[in-house]
Amino acid sequence: MYGRKACQLVKEFVSSDSGQLIVFNNDLFAQVIEECDGHLLQLQALLRKMQVEGSDNQTTKNADHFGALVHHLSLVRNKRCLMAYVHNRAEVIQNLGWTIERVLPEEIEEKLNSSEKEYFKNHSATLQSYMSDLDLDLAVDMVPPKDPYIKVRVLEEIGNVVLSDQLANLARHAILFLRRTDAEQYISQGLMEELTG
Amino acid sequence: MSGQSDPRGFTFSAAELEFLAEDETMEIVPNLSMERLSLISGDFGPFRPQIATQVPIWLAVALKKRGKCTIRPPDWMSVEKLTQVLEAERDSASSFEALPFHYVEISRLLFDHARDDIPDVYMVRSLIEDIKDVRFHKIGTGLEKLSSRTYAMKLNLSAMEVNVIRPFVTGGLETFYKLGNPDMIQESERQEYRRPQAADRGPRRELRR
Amino acid sequence: MESGSGEGTGGFSAMDDYETLISTTDADLLKRSWRNEKAAPEILQFESSLVQRSREQIQLMEETVEEFMKNGEDPLTVSLYQMDIDRTLFLLRSYLRTRLQKIEKFMFHIQKTADLWTRLSRQEQKFAKRSIEDMKQHLEQSVLTKLPDRYKSHLKQSVISEEDDMVMEPKLDAFVICRTRKFLGSLPVDDSGEENPLDMYAGDIYALRYKSIKPLIETGQLDLV
Repeated sequence: MYGRKACQLVKEFVSSDSGQLIVFNNDLFAQVIEECDGHLLQLQALLRKMQVEGSDNQTTKNADHFGALVHHLSLVRNKRCLMAYVHNRAEVIQNLGWTIERVLPEEIEEKLNSSEKEYFKNHSATLQSYMSDLDLDLAVDMVPPKDPYIKVRVLEEIGNVVLSDQLANLARHAILFLRRTDAEQYISQGLMEELTG
Repeated sequence: MSGQSDPRGFTFSAAELEFLAEDETMEIVPNLSMERLSLISGDFGPFRPQIATQVPIWLAVALKKRGKCTIRPPDWMSVEKLTQVLEAERDSASSFEALPFHYVEISRLLFDHARDDIPDVYMVRSLIEDIKDVRFHKIGTGLEKLSSRTYAMKLNLSAMEVNVIRPFVTGGLETFYKLGNPDMIQESERQEYRRPQAADRGPRRELRR
Repeated sequence: MESGSGEGTGGFSAMDDYETLISTTDADLLKRSWRNEKAAPEILQFESSLVQRSREQIQLMEETVEEFMKNGEDPLTVSLYQMDIDRTLFLLRSYLRTRLQKIEKFMFHIQKTADLWTRLSRQEQKFAKRSIEDMKQHLEQSVLTKLPDRYKSHLKQSVISEEDDMVMEPKLDAFVICRTRKFLGSLPVDDSGEENPLDMYAGDIYALRYKSIKPLIETGQLDLV
């Protein structure tokens, strides 16, 4: 049946989790392109035949006319499916540009075809260029900010340290407010604990 | 594919609603002295011990977390007021009692960070839960009444409620709109009755001239 | 701007509250623009001077905070100023980001619609141009060059198409949810011209078709929520 493979291709995209890509289906894609070529050959053959018979495409509504129409419409439908497949994947790739700078991790890269890899590179460069024109990084702050300070209790004596915003005496048992980014290293080393509530 | 339910965030996330709610103002009673803050979002303070002042919730919560103030819960967060609201919500099948646009987020922020400042906090909390339930039930029934005649729907709801029902209302209304769209009806009629209509049209056009 | 004759209707406290909450600091304006941009199906006019003012304020505040730290200002005060900066920066970034995402989605439509194109900032126009090149090249390499001659356009299905029938457009018919800023009087809300117009009061929340209220958003009488 005409258009079935193209439809499969689109369904394959739709069934993948939103925001995730599966491997570019080169095989099925090529088969749809092949189908398009087939439609073109038949379409041209029918149009030639009508020309030879001297029938006017505008007025003659015979089997050949409708046959040609079916091939044209099937071709258009296949084109729309191919474009939808590539375009929807490209939208996912655009989104990657917001979170990943320059280099794609291997597990994503291996799912892309070569044009998609190039597209990722080009489009993230476009995005980076906008940000440097503006002198503002838009790839941070994806969620609303919370209080950057957290309440911690010092578990082991650390002593006087210079933090990003203050000089602090991190004496054992002290309870104080630190920037989350400053506290994280101590918390991961078990020298500090976060107090909640 | 509707712009409203786009996964890339064309509407608001729960965190964004909370962010918006954090700009609502609240009365606090500081226990410290601090000069006036001239912030981008406005001027607040000066802060003097025991002298109440109005600040945005994010500021109130930051001070509260550091033990620098008590928060005065808004009037509507009292057992008395909420009981009234709940009764009124139950009595009326369709209308909604006026609560602040961000009542869900505001109450959650205060439960999380200032529970010791809320009198009868358990009662208040369960009343708000009940009000939320009753309202959601009513919203559900209200949505059932959506019809193809609905070009506009009045929804006096809170921010969170709006966000939850957005896909239903916008999606539902859109579907009705499409189904009822005169262009589409004409389109299908034109296709079905192409010949007779075309025949009809000719003479009529002639007559007008 | 909003005050005046509409006041003193009395007995409607929610409405009065809402009126008094309306202020016009840049922080409020930025928040409003962010909300509208996020909720509107199409790209809105770039708030050029507002963005510039906000950036200047952020920079000024960052300098103030540095000054505070140098002078050994109380760390609590410093952190409150920092939180205020963080909140404004988030709004600004998210506002600009939302616009870029719309440009990414509707690039071809924006490019060929003069009214939309002029809504973009200079940098956004540059971004849009480059995005279009990137996408066009990708579509050509992946699909279009492999198709028969008369089917190679990225805008049209085939050479027969009179209109650009391959271009994704925002749905202006989409329903949006909005809140009125002040009493708006009667508003016709549908195409037929026969339905009852709505009486919209301050603080009312409605689900309406974007198309029918577009001018009211542009003039700031309605907020998308």
